[in-house]
Amino acid sequence: MTTALTVTDLTCRRGEFTLGPVGFDVPAGGRVAIVGPSGSGKTSLLRCVAGLERIGSGTIRIGDQVVADGKLHTAPDRRGLGLVFQDGALWPHLNARQHLTFAAPSMTPAAADALLERGGIGHLAERKPAKMSGGEAQRLGLLRALAPEPAVLLLDEPLRSVDVHLRDALVLLVRTLADERGLTTVLVTHDRDEAFALATDLVVMHEGRVVERGSARELLANPSCAFTAAFLANAACLPTTPAGDRVETPFGAFDRPAVHAATNGAATPSDSELRLVLLPGDVSASPADDSPAEVRGSVLTSTPTTDGYQNRIALGDHIVFARSDELLATGLPARLNLRSTPRLLPWQTAAH
Amino acid sequence: MNHTATNLLSRAPLLLALLFVALFVLLPLAELFLGTFFSDAGFTFSAWARLFEDENLWKQLLASLRLGLAATTISLILGGGHAWLTVRRDLPFGRVLGPLGIAPLVMPPIFVAMGFSDFGIGSGFWPCAWLLGVAHAPFVAVLTARGLRAADGRAYEAAWLLRGRGRAELALLRTISPELLAGCLLAFLFTLADHGVPEFLTVKGKTWHTYAEGVYSRWTRRAVGTTFEDLQSPVVAALPFIAALAGLMWLTLRLRAHAPDRGTVTPLPIRPLGAGRWPALLLPLVYLAAGVGVPVLVLTRWVLGSAQMAEPMSIAYARQSFAKAVDQGMPVFENSVWLALAVAALVVILALPLARLVARRWQKLEVVLALPIAIPAILLGVALVNSYVDSKVMRAMNDFYSGWGFALCGYAARFLPFAAIPLAAMVRRQSLASEEAASLVPRSALSRSLRIHLPPLLPATWSAAVLVFVLALRELDLAVVLPAANATAVRRLANAVHFQHEDWSGVIGLLLLSTAVLVPLLPSLLAGRRLSSLS
Repeated sequence: MTTALTVTDLTCRRGEFTLGPVGFDVPAGGRVAIVGPSGSGKTSLLRCVAGLERIGSGTIRIGDQVVADGKLHTAPDRRGLGLVFQDGALWPHLNARQHLTFAAPSMTPAAADALLERGGIGHLAERKPAKMSGGEAQRLGLLRALAPEPAVLLLDEPLRSVDVHLRDALVLLVRTLADERGLTTVLVTHDRDEAFALATDLVVMHEGRVVERGSARELLANPSCAFTAAFLANAACLPTTPAGDRVETPFGAFDRPAVHAATNGAATPSDSELRLVLLPGDVSASPADDSPAEVRGSVLTSTPTTDGYQNRIALGDHIVFARSDELLATGLPARLNLRSTPRLLPWQTAAH
Repeated sequence: MNHTATNLLSRAPLLLALLFVALFVLLPLAELFLGTFFSDAGFTFSAWARLFEDENLWKQLLASLRLGLAATTISLILGGGHAWLTVRRDLPFGRVLGPLGIAPLVMPPIFVAMGFSDFGIGSGFWPCAWLLGVAHAPFVAVLTARGLRAADGRAYEAAWLLRGRGRAELALLRTISPELLAGCLLAFLFTLADHGVPEFLTVKGKTWHTYAEGVYSRWTRRAVGTTFEDLQSPVVAALPFIAALAGLMWLTLRLRAHAPDRGTVTPLPIRPLGAGRWPALLLPLVYLAAGVGVPVLVLTRWVLGSAQMAEPMSIAYARQSFAKAVDQGMPVFENSVWLALAVAALVVILALPLARLVARRWQKLEVVLALPIAIPAILLGVALVNSYVDSKVMRAMNDFYSGWGFALCGYAARFLPFAAIPLAAMVRRQSLASEEAASLVPRSALSRSLRIHLPPLLPATWSAAVLVFVLALRELDLAVVLPAANATAVRRLANAVHFQHEDWSGVIGLLLLSTAVLVPLLPSLLAGRRLSSLS
């Protein structure tokens, strides 16, 4: 399979923040989401790919062409990319049709109208951004990026400024238009739902580095590091203490894994970074009794579900998601029990 | 045209603008400064040493500072009071009187001085402070009004509910203090830098002198100086003051940068004046009468023949005045209008690329661009003359020094900050992401500039052009020094009263004022658009 975008050993400085070195590739027609918390460097990475920031070292290749390395910097308009900005970043003085004809010099007004129609905003051709809703503005932002028929479409948190009830329609539009054109899409977001909706593969970033990559299903089912489990699946990651061949945790001692089995490219974990990873289904909760050996936490919230209650329980500095059969009183202690064998994972791996 | 060529073409305006700043702002000032250290005998501090022995200079500095403080207080009372009453209180006709707060700005200060002297205002310290305070009150009025409009009414009401009316008013005063102080500092700077009004009053018998006057009088006497120290004395005397003015200017810019710009806010509640509603009209009326009414009345009286003792004022005499104006004064009036139009056009062309550079890449350049405001116009003129009076390069350009080209460049250097700084603020308010979106479009840089970057700036560009046009039309200090600009209307008017030419001078003065008022109104007249404030 050919690659549409290849990033190798990229570094970039923005003020105090240093990105990288990072690397990943996206196959032609692939849908990849770069995910991570705020400040992880994902937007910087996207801006480097788009050419809005100069890179320090490494290479960016679009198709077969190197567009940036330590010395070369191809201008953004010559990279053949489309970029959908977070807040639309529309031009306030141009109407919708003018947005498309300016973005694609060869596009006729009739072709622009057809594309607007395809995007569901054909009736807004004469309208300027100030008179559009958030959802309409974001559709126009998407169509503007698609107008010059780019090889790769970059999306920077495109659903962020869109009302919740309009998100599904916009997700459907992005996927439909991308599939129609066989487009490669790269999404940047800190929103897991947005990433799962728009991408099939994920690149997880933390503190300027790629910590893990793989398909969304694979990373959810079998993360190679605790950070990924925490970020993607709301896992509680409790600290551990080494004790010979075992590690001590708040839930007792467990055998230390020799080498983590499914590393997804991760390095061998070190004891000091090992975390006890508790996914929301791994723990159950019940009202605390006087047993001295029990693990106790403090109930923060207890909300009903179809088959019981979902509880957020503070355990030291960590929050554990635990199920219970009965409503637990907020603020009172609760007993936590393991329902299945938990995983011991390093906090963070270096996938790159 | 290929990509590289169009990119170079798109950078040409910026390169030319930077070259202009280097040639007509930095080079003259640097030459002026360095010249004080180099006599025929080589490097020396002798000119500077003499500065500390010159008692007159210190007297003049003190006089200027006192004059600045007094005039600024008057500007604060008139301009600040006008804004407070028209924006904040239920003053009768407040909606009409409010925008008129800027009106005195179109009046050259020398007209205000001539107007009041016609009524025998005298020539002491307080008359001079009054004239300059009135002339520069629009800075305080406009900026205070802007601050009050940007203040959030909900925040005021929250403070009122929690701490009572008095504390709420104090909190509001703190909120608008950056704008208020910036207005006062501008009024102070312009008062210190003004040479024309104190010099005009000197002719009327004033017995004390200001710093700006001192600079000019030293410079005009330089030819009779026999020593290096004599020749350099005007420059040496000027430079310490510039440092203080530049510091104030920097402070003003910082204050303006910190001024609230909250976009759409809930307007402040209008407070009733109660029984004082009609009496409160007195302050705006005094302000507008002093800043506009008196000078216009006096110019009109001159046209009608008030300066002629032989016969009473009459319409018939006014006809004669107009005939004389067409015959004798029309060329200078046309010179003024064409020069002001050319200056406004050149300044806008230079300011747009500089504003983008300052806003997006090189913020520190703003301090350099602000220099011409900090420097008294008379000194900037002296610096320009020093650099170009005997320039071999310019001599090759066929009498550049004595032609209109030099006057145009001098005026543009003087007024560049009035366009570049507000335009830079406007560029900062534009979405950076929108500009980045444009950078991804496969178009030339020139096309992106014209289609994406420029259109949102057009209203601010028009406002800046109008402001520069009006300021250039009323400029006297540079007109005194730059050779070609001697043939402008304001310069001739300042002299005309000494030669009993008040009749046709009055006509030219009224024509100048009409032009200064009509140009800002053009968009409303031609396109039916609502006129936005020049602030």
